[in-house]
Amino acid sequence: MPARALLVTLRVVKFGIFFEMSTPRPFTPEVEGAVLHNALAQARLADQLGFDWVWAVEHHFLEEYSHCSAPEVVLAAVATQTERIRIGHGAVVCVPEMNHPVRVAERCATLDLLSHGRLEVGTARSSTWTELGGFGVDPDQTKKTWDEFVHVLPKLWADGATSYDGHSFSMPERNVLPKPLQKPHPPMWVTVTSPGTELDAADRGLGCLGVAAAGYAEQERRTKEYFRRIEQCDPVSSVVTKEVTTLNFLYCHEDAAVAAKTGMGMVGTFGLANSHLMWTREAYPTQAYQSLGNLAPKTDRSATGSPGDRFGIPEGICVGDPDIIVAALKRWEALGLTGINFLLNCVETIPQEQVLESMRLFAREVMPHFRKGA
Amino acid sequence: MLSGTAPAEDLMAYAATMADFATEACALPGAQVLQLMFETAVSGRQTSLPAGLHPTNPPSMVVQAWHCPESPWGTFSLATARVQCRSGLRPRGFVQGCVVDNADAAAALAARWGFPTHVGVVTLDVGYHDTHLVVEVEGARVLDVRALDPIPLGNEDVAFSTTLTLAHTPRGARLVQVDTDLACERAERLVACAPLIDAEAFGLHPSVVVTHPVSASLSRGTLTLQPLRYVCRPDELAFTGTESTQD
Repeated sequence: MPARALLVTLRVVKFGIFFEMSTPRPFTPEVEGAVLHNALAQARLADQLGFDWVWAVEHHFLEEYSHCSAPEVVLAAVATQTERIRIGHGAVVCVPEMNHPVRVAERCATLDLLSHGRLEVGTARSSTWTELGGFGVDPDQTKKTWDEFVHVLPKLWADGATSYDGHSFSMPERNVLPKPLQKPHPPMWVTVTSPGTELDAADRGLGCLGVAAAGYAEQERRTKEYFRRIEQCDPVSSVVTKEVTTLNFLYCHEDAAVAAKTGMGMVGTFGLANSHLMWTREAYPTQAYQSLGNLAPKTDRSATGSPGDRFGIPEGICVGDPDIIVAALKRWEALGLTGINFLLNCVETIPQEQVLESMRLFAREVMPHFRKGA
Repeated sequence: MLSGTAPAEDLMAYAATMADFATEACALPGAQVLQLMFETAVSGRQTSLPAGLHPTNPPSMVVQAWHCPESPWGTFSLATARVQCRSGLRPRGFVQGCVVDNADAAAALAARWGFPTHVGVVTLDVGYHDTHLVVEVEGARVLDVRALDPIPLGNEDVAFSTTLTLAHTPRGARLVQVDTDLACERAERLVACAPLIDAEAFGLHPSVVVTHPVSASLSRGTLTLQPLRYVCRPDELAFTGTESTQD
């Protein structure tokens, strides 16, 4: 199978924007609506400026941190308001208590048609007890159901009438409709929070959608291992998505001091909101969740540090003037990454017009350094 | 981000008085540690914490019981009721109730680490199928809970939040960070059953209402209470309210 696989390999580092839909209190319809409409405006501008992807997560119950519980609806709006940018459904939580695989296949195909073949499908299994507990999911089962979903989705998209008898669901012969525009199906990814999941991605021929901060050395190790392993993959279909991205923050301003003050406010707020989540491992002891998510470095029993410590500044963060950001991105690019996705805001700590201006400056002064041949 | 709304004095009915901060570690070999997690009512998530702490989402509490066959004070068992929270960015278990069956251990744990100890009866009965914890104070049963069907886990698979106590210290009322390390030799996950609990009699804030059992674990190994390093002002966020015990 690997020899016949279609390798979707793009060598120029690409840029995406990444929506959590983090939302400030109070959670009024006006505030929630403003967050959504600000995100749509950012997506339209990203489309015009030459960004490559717009991703929207799927999260449930994560007060403040993420109100993006219906990403397929958000992305349908994005699809109809943009022309070129690729639409990242990143990521669908692949546990049947949250999403039946047939419904995932149907929604993704519809999004692919609405976007004229611009869909990317991310897959995930959820990291928090807040979400898994809310849906009554057994954390021991999520790796299994995720694996089952990523193998069966290509069949539901590509084949006609299909029957299935599996671990987490079964169905008699049915034709899942509509079928996606991209043939045989849109590119597939898996979100990577815990070390080791990049290997799950590589072994199945899936793109590696990094969603947790890793330093340069750790990212280099993961990227090398991913590219080594994917050469021997047993892909879930004939489409191999050979990509590794990481998640970063973006705030670009001509004045580096202004950028640092504003951007680091966003970063610190993200860290605080993130730390308030109830990670699965904290609530439910299991070998299926070895990481405490982004909290992990701070919860080692032998290294319980000062509660006065603020959120550490991640390596290579894209907060600064254009020169600072170009330097950071060149270093990420040198690690072999194929793309970098950016969080643009957190609970609206940065006014929308400043977010849009940061995107414009990034496109004008930073993006040209990463064009092919630049 | 949400933070607590309870005045610190409302949480100090059983607070210990510390003459100084523990400066030496205390190893407790052969300890059994039963941990049970429960979700609690959202209505109490802020009212059960002081302003310096942040609630978790969902709000939750942990019952932790230790049976320590060897200690400087002899064999003892202890049961704590903790409100899970965040101090700054870090996960913490804020101890509001603590019952110990050995008066010497109770006095030492209060004086050196700030545990709000009551002397009572703590019975931790570990079986192959059924682990049963009963806690009694002044003849009244304040907790009766079972955990069933153990399955083995790796020794590093159980996560323990660092302990916080709230005590009268030489610096005034302070949240005291108690680092407890467990060198785990054996661990199991169990199914937590709904508890019979008199939360207020146990020492919990009355707004802490258990709603849903989440999980249980039973671990065995050497438990070490470390020297104290940090204390926090209870009414101030940890970013500005943290003090080193060495200062």
